[in-house]
Amino acid sequence: MNDTNRALNRTVLMIVGVILLLGGGAAATAAALPAVGEVWTSSGKAVLDGLRSAADATKIGDTDLSWAVIGAAAVAIVIAVVLFVGLTTLVSRRSRTVLRSSGSQTPLGRVTITEGFAADAVKNSLAREDDVVAASVTAHTVRDEPVLHVSVTARRGADPRSVVDHVDRLMDGLAAVTGTDTAAYISVHGGLRSRFASDAPRVG
Amino acid sequence: MTTPVLRRVVRRETHSPRSVAFAVVVLIGIALALYVAVELILALAAQPALLVRPMAALESLAGLPSNAPVAAGVAGGLVAAALGLWLVILALAPGRLSKHEVDAGGRVAVVDNGVLASSLAQRVSDEIGIARDRVTVGVAHRSVDVTVRPGAGIPVDKAQVTSLADAEIASLKLARPVRTRVRIARPDDEEKAA
Repeated sequence: MNDTNRALNRTVLMIVGVILLLGGGAAATAAALPAVGEVWTSSGKAVLDGLRSAADATKIGDTDLSWAVIGAAAVAIVIAVVLFVGLTTLVSRRSRTVLRSSGSQTPLGRVTITEGFAADAVKNSLAREDDVVAASVTAHTVRDEPVLHVSVTARRGADPRSVVDHVDRLMDGLAAVTGTDTAAYISVHGGLRSRFASDAPRVG
Repeated sequence: MTTPVLRRVVRRETHSPRSVAFAVVVLIGIALALYVAVELILALAAQPALLVRPMAALESLAGLPSNAPVAAGVAGGLVAAALGLWLVILALAPGRLSKHEVDAGGRVAVVDNGVLASSLAQRVSDEIGIARDRVTVGVAHRSVDVTVRPGAGIPVDKAQVTSLADAEIASLKLARPVRTRVRIARPDDEEKAA
């Protein structure tokens, strides 16, 4: 779970896709139909002439340098930087937090439970389950609210219903101990680890 | 009681973020932008171009219909258009991951389709006494396929398997209802298929 901006991902894909779709379609029709090809060539010439006159108009003194070309190079570099920043948001946006839940005040003091404790408690309890190969607990912040994520790798053929119910009971127990019912999200995975793990021990 | 926050978590966990496609597109974009910048600077400095001068590249693009062979122009355009269409589909399609949400009281739970399938296969195999590797279960977003391949002469009641699978699926409490399809593959069917 992370905070990757998915709307941004899809918007960028959409924009690039539409540009490619229209550009490719136009190029294909221009190549296939001579009439459209004429339009393509003449409008291309017009654009080129415009660019040339822009470059000539912004010439710096007697040199070959032109502000328009310098500007275009700067724009290209800015685009590259903006794209790079967009790319870094993809990797750096982690939503992990440290969860601290403070129980109610008692005459003896206050009980504070940290994520580490919650994680260990849930993991140790799940480790005794035959159906569970591995488990991990992490805390995340989603819309400024803490959310516990219990991730369970189930053994092959395990009943996911009983795994989910078991985790649900554990979380009830944790809520009773900490005094706050943190929102929790349970995910049950299969995959390589459960495929290579030995079969559940059989009794009898 | 599932809060909007948990709904959001489930939605994010069951749908693809499209991060890989985004990263590839953005990386190509960065490379292109940097390359264009380098060529422009080389042209400014009146140095030989790396591959092609920016103006020459634009000129050849404008002259594409008359210079390039028709087939190459059409093929190139279609390839670009197909790539664009694929990106548009990626942008608009839900991108559901192969996971099912299951009921978990006030909490939320998401289970991989593979886990659901292997659990169903195990149950069916236990109940009807057919070896586990002769039961194949596929769990999709809206349907569950159960295929049993009993050996020659071993009777299997299709109705029994169907009701068994239905009961097992009901006990999983999937958030989205699925259709069950049961198929008993007989050895002679297998031979015909082979």
